[in-house]
Order: sequence, then structure tokens, then C-alpha cells
Amino acid sequence: MSIRRLAAVASIAAMTLAACSTGTGGSAAPSAAGSAAASAPAGSAAAGGGCTVGMSWNNYQEERWAKWDEPAIKAAIEAGGGTYISNDAKSSAETQATNVENLISQGAKVVIILAEDDVAIKPSVTSAIGEGIPVIAYDRLIEDPGVLYITFDNIEVGRMQAREIFKLVPSGNYAIIKGNEADANARFLREGYEEIIGAAVTAGDIKIVGETFTDGWKPDVAQTNMEQILTSANNDVDAVLSENDGMAGGVVAALEAQGLAGKVPVSGQDGDQAALNRVALGTQTVDVWKDARELGTAAGEAAIALCADPDVAAVPDTADFTTPGGNTVKSQLLTPQPILKDNLNVVVDAGWITKDALCQGVTDTSVAACQ
Amino acid sequence: MTEATAVQGTTVTREPPRRSARSALQALEVDTRLLGMVLALVVIWIGFNILSGGLFLTSRNLWNLSVQSASVAIMATGMVLIIVSRNIDLSVGSILGLTGMTMAMLQAEWIPRTFGLGFEQPYTWIVALAAGIALGALVGGIQGFVIAYIGVPSFIVTLGGLLVWRGLAFQLAQGQTIAPMDTTFALLGGGPKGSLGEALSWLVAGIAIAFVLYSLWAGRRRRRRYGFPLRPMWAEVMLAVFGCVAALGAVWVANSYPWPSNLATEYAVANGITEPEGGLIIPTGIAMPVIIAIGTAVVITFLATRRRFGRYVFSIGGNPDAAELAGINTRRTIMGTFVLMGMLAAISAAVLSARLNAATVGLGTQSELYVIAAAVIGGTSFAGGIGTIPGAVLGAVIMQSLQSGMVLLKVDSPVQDIVVGLVLVTAVGLDTYIRRRTA
Repeated sequence: MSIRRLAAVASIAAMTLAACSTGTGGSAAPSAAGSAAASAPAGSAAAGGGCTVGMSWNNYQEERWAKWDEPAIKAAIEAGGGTYISNDAKSSAETQATNVENLISQGAKVVIILAEDDVAIKPSVTSAIGEGIPVIAYDRLIEDPGVLYITFDNIEVGRMQAREIFKLVPSGNYAIIKGNEADANARFLREGYEEIIGAAVTAGDIKIVGETFTDGWKPDVAQTNMEQILTSANNDVDAVLSENDGMAGGVVAALEAQGLAGKVPVSGQDGDQAALNRVALGTQTVDVWKDARELGTAAGEAAIALCADPDVAAVPDTADFTTPGGNTVKSQLLTPQPILKDNLNVVVDAGWITKDALCQGVTDTSVAACQ
Repeated sequence: MTEATAVQGTTVTREPPRRSARSALQALEVDTRLLGMVLALVVIWIGFNILSGGLFLTSRNLWNLSVQSASVAIMATGMVLIIVSRNIDLSVGSILGLTGMTMAMLQAEWIPRTFGLGFEQPYTWIVALAAGIALGALVGGIQGFVIAYIGVPSFIVTLGGLLVWRGLAFQLAQGQTIAPMDTTFALLGGGPKGSLGEALSWLVAGIAIAFVLYSLWAGRRRRRRYGFPLRPMWAEVMLAVFGCVAALGAVWVANSYPWPSNLATEYAVANGITEPEGGLIIPTGIAMPVIIAIGTAVVITFLATRRRFGRYVFSIGGNPDAAELAGINTRRTIMGTFVLMGMLAAISAAVLSARLNAATVGLGTQSELYVIAAAVIGGTSFAGGIGTIPGAVLGAVIMQSLQSGMVLLKVDSPVQDIVVGLVLVTAVGLDTYIRRRTA
């Protein structure tokens, strides 16, 4: 009895919240109202304006989406005379499937999807494309030949990391700290490494003394793994290829405990504030930075182009991309930027990080960005 | 059954000791399950040492292992009390994340920037630590209150907590990694500088030996006063020798791990010491996280076995209704176990974040599983009323040994998970089987 009453109260609350978030327009993904209620103007509003673009987030509760991606997508769509609507699947593949249908029933003419699960989302994507609604796979691949895939080139990220480290350490002992084994990106990055250092490994100039996947990309796991690699190699490690910044933090902590931080080059990516600070301090060599705003703008502009002509092949600057699943999709692969000690001013000038946060604890006068 | 053992016990003390292994164990009165775990640990260590070509049983690896086990061991001591009283806490990993993030924000943002007091203040570390522990107690208290006074099952409350506290941790820093930590605070995480050094480590060994001898002597005196059967003298001596050797051996291992040569050179340069031939050798000694873990285990063991609170916890676990009828304030006791658990999660958060020199939003994710597994491998029963703190600490060391050892052997993480999972179920299965046979 009481459970039923509670359910009734909860559903009323949910409806109220839904109404509220509809009132505030498409400015934010709903956090409380959940999947069914999208923070969108009603169908009538969309019909009055230009083209409506629907954005399906898989998990809006991550810093970067709200802070960097969404404003850029929204700005690009509105600059093209369109309307932006969105909803959030809260890390649920089932919810996301419903969400995509909701966006379409709300009048979306183009759908951008940040997929929770690249396989589970396929039926919704196929039916959307069947209805003549083009789909953009945002940042993560969707295994469907009809989508437009827009992302940073992850293999290139791997190449950039390896290139910078290889420049400093052309021969010696390498440790490789990879991300989560289930994540395709971990493999793309490793592929990029192979292209740069593979020949030197075969020639015997580079010896890989430790290579591990890291559960959930967790920094503390990376730290423990690095400690064990240092133990088994008796500290004879000359360079570390770490696939992202969080794990690089764990690696640097492990090196620090052996007095090796700053002596052994370490790579990373993501442009985390702590990692950029490490680049300024000299304990991390390279941080490959993917400006999420660029990605958002590219997706927004592509969406506007698709409003006019729903043929993905007609979108400018696309190339064919062969997916791991053997499909060929149209794609826009953006080029990331390696951040080193010498070009730290790039991230400061872009407003990505404050000089204060970047230069905390930096005493080295050779770091130009901190002068 | 109990009568029979008592009779047997007295006969053993009167007659010259029979030299069979079983009667010797009975005379020593050691916990056979604990002994079994120690043996299992020895087997694991020797096995890894052979497979890794002698890398596992080096002072360096054992020192690393002790630090790596510390955070799970700290929380496992509290988890024993929770499980013994027939509850569960699934939220410890998230409480760890929230308190860790709070402590990091205090020292990297709020104290230096928001209040404008600057970085590296002498009081920063203690303010951060105290605030973190207080927050842990508060969070644990809220959960404990809902469980004990409102009567929502602990599984549900802490499952909710698992989501809520992690979400709050995210909100605090909007998902950012907060680093670096205050340099004094970072010492809590160990590393050569965050260790006791040679002299203090030996002092710790001395205190441990004094404690072992005193407790044996006090125990004997107490038994005599109440007319209980005494252990034979040879058993007392053997226990004393074993305790002393264990303490001295552990400290010897920690002291024979020297500072890494780079750090030793830096130290020599900074202090104007000319480095001798072959480098300066500075013994590292016991690391701070290990001292914290041992301290926690001692305090919680004392609480569990010598204080009213601990007796209440065990009697509630044995039979909640009987405990309540006997006049025990079961609700307050249960709430107390959760407050304690929250504080331990915060201490663990301090150790982990100091060690990583950063707090990340995912800090401590899934550690609830390792903590529960450590307690259970250590002989804590889900049926309630049974469990020991030293067992849980050993459980934590066993699990970390498996994981660290497999990394040394370059076994990849999915296989590590499979092995740890199988060991968990096998250990508890074996224990249940043996208990049923001997009951």
C-alpha cells in the first residue's frame, strides 16, 4: 500500500520536474527528470523554427560534456538557424534506445548520438536512418554503415604520444600502461604506438619490460602496476607510454617514490589540469590535447549540413573509415594537438586552464607559459 | 562438546605434553583457521617467488606489498564488525571517494585559494585529515541511523549510499582530478620519505615485543587468578619466541629495503654528505600506511575484544533478539559500527590519495568488493557472530599478494580478476566444509 503511494508521489514529482525542465528550454540535459522527459521545446516550437537537432548523451554526468562539448554543439546549431534539444541516458543502453525515439518524436530532423554501447544502439540507429533521419556518431563509433562518425583520431593520439617519447628515448626499456581492455580506444592507442616504435622493438633497440591493461583506467591500479614493473625491471625503465592522463598520474607517483620522476619520460592525453601542471613541472613529457569544443563545433556544423541534405556522403571534409566491425562509414577525424613544455601557452590562450593552475609549484624559469 | 575440550585441555596441562601435532596446537591455543591462512600465504609467497625467479621475496617487493595492502586492510577491520553484526556496507568505496575528494579540495583549493591562506601551511594536513574523518563519521552515522533506527536493510541503505556519495564526490570537483597534495599530507601515503627509517622501525619492533610479552604474562596471571587451566610453559615460551621473531623479522625486511639510489643521492647532496663508494644506503623502514593499518587493527581488536561495544557487536551477531532482550542497546551499537566504518574509509582515503598524490573521482571504485572479500577470506561469517580482525588483515594481504604477484608474472588484468574471484569462493568453500566436518 505505502509503496504504491510512494510510486504515485514519485511519478507526480517526475512529471513536475519534466514540466519545469521543458520550461527552461534546451539549455541543459535533464538531471532529475530522467529519460522520458527531454529538456526540449515541444513539437510545436520546433515546427515554428528551423531545423531541430536532437542530441542523445549517454552519461551527461561527466565534466567535459556540460562544460565544453554541449555549448559548442549548441552554438554551431543555433548559428546555422537550428534548434538544439537533448536528453540523457544515464549510462543505460536501454534508456538511450528510447531516448533516440523520443528525440525523433519531438521533431528532430538530425540525431547526434554519444553511444553508451555501440552495438545495443544499432536497432534505434537503423530505424532512424530508415525514416530518413541522418545519425551522427559523436566521439564513439556506432557500427552502422549509415552513420557519420565524428571523433578525434585515436590512433593518431597514440602516434603523437609515442613520437614525443621516442624522440627522447630512441632505444632502451619501455613500459606500456594501457587502459581498460574492453575499451576499443585502448587498442587504437596501442596501434598508434606500434606504428612508431614497432620497428625499433623488432630491431631490438627497444625492449618492452612491462605492458599491462588497467581496469577501468584507474590511476591507483596504474600506480600499483607501475610499482611492480619497476620492481621486476629493477628500476631499469627508460620511458613510459601511458594511454591517458589519469594513469600517467599513477605512473608519476610510482616513479616519484623511486626518485625517477622527471628523469623518465611519461605520456598522457585528455588535457587534465593536474596533467598539464605535471608537464609544466617536467614530470610528464607530453599531454595530447583534444579540444572538445572543436569536436562539438564540427558535429554541430555537420548536423546543419545534414538538415539541408540528409545524405552523409555530401557533408564536406569526410573520408571513408573502416571500422573494427568491417563496416565502411563516412567520418570526420579531427587532429589532436600534443602539448609539451614549450607550447603550454596554447592551452592557456584557449582558456582551457588558468595560468595559476598550470604553473602551481613551477620554479623552472625555462617554462615560457609560466613567466 | 565444549565440556569435552575443557576436560581435554586440563589433562594436557597436567600430563607431560604428548608430542602429536594436534595436541601441541591445542596447547598453544592458536586459532587453526588463522594458522591455515598463514600457511596459505606462505605457499602463495613461495610459489610466486619460484615463478618470478626470486623477485617476489625481495625486501623491495614485500615492502611494496605491505603498502599496497594497507588501504584495504584498514577498511577490512571495520567491515568485520559490520558483517559480524549481520549487516553489510557496500558504500565504503564511495565514502572513500567522497572523503578523499573533500580532503584534496581542502588542501588544493579551499584552504589555499578560497580562504586565501596559501599552499603548504603547517596545519593543512591535519585540518584536511580531521575534516575527512569527521565527514566519514557523519556519512557513516547517517547510514547507520537509517539502518538502525528506521529499519531499512543495510544492503539497501548502503547500495543507495554507493550511488549518492560517489555522485557527491563528482559534484565537489565536477569530475576533475585534484592534485597535488600538501607535501606533509603526502607522507601519509608512504614512499621512502613517508617511512619511519631505521631507528624508529626498530623502536616499533621493541614496542611490539614488549606488548607480546606483557599480554602473555598478563593472560597467564589472569587465568591463575580465576582458576582457569594454564598453558604449559613450553607453549608460552614458544608463543613468545614466535611473536618476537615475527616482529623482528618484519622490521628487518622493511629496514633492508634501502632508499632508491636517486633519492639517496638527492638527500646526500641536500645535506652536504659525501656519498661513500657504492652509494649512500638509507634503510627505508616501515611505511606510514602500514603503521596506520597496524595501529587501526590494534585499536579495533581492542574495541572488539576488550570493550563493551565489541562484546555487544558479537552478541548481536550471534542472536539479535537475545541481545536485545538482554538489555543491549542494539540500535546504538549498530549505528556505532557504521560510524566507525565511515571513519576508517576516510583514513583509507587519506592513505590512497596521499599515495597517488591526487584525488580522482573514481578513487576507491570497487574497493568495497575487495574489503568485503578480505573480511570473508579472513574467516568472517555472513551468518553473524564470527570473525576476527587479524584474519581480515591477513585476508587483505593474501588478496594483494595474488594481485601484485600476478603483475610481476605479467598476467593481464582479466585473468587476475578470474584468479582472485576463484580464490575467494574456494577459500570460503573450504572453510565452510572444514567447519562442518569438525563441528
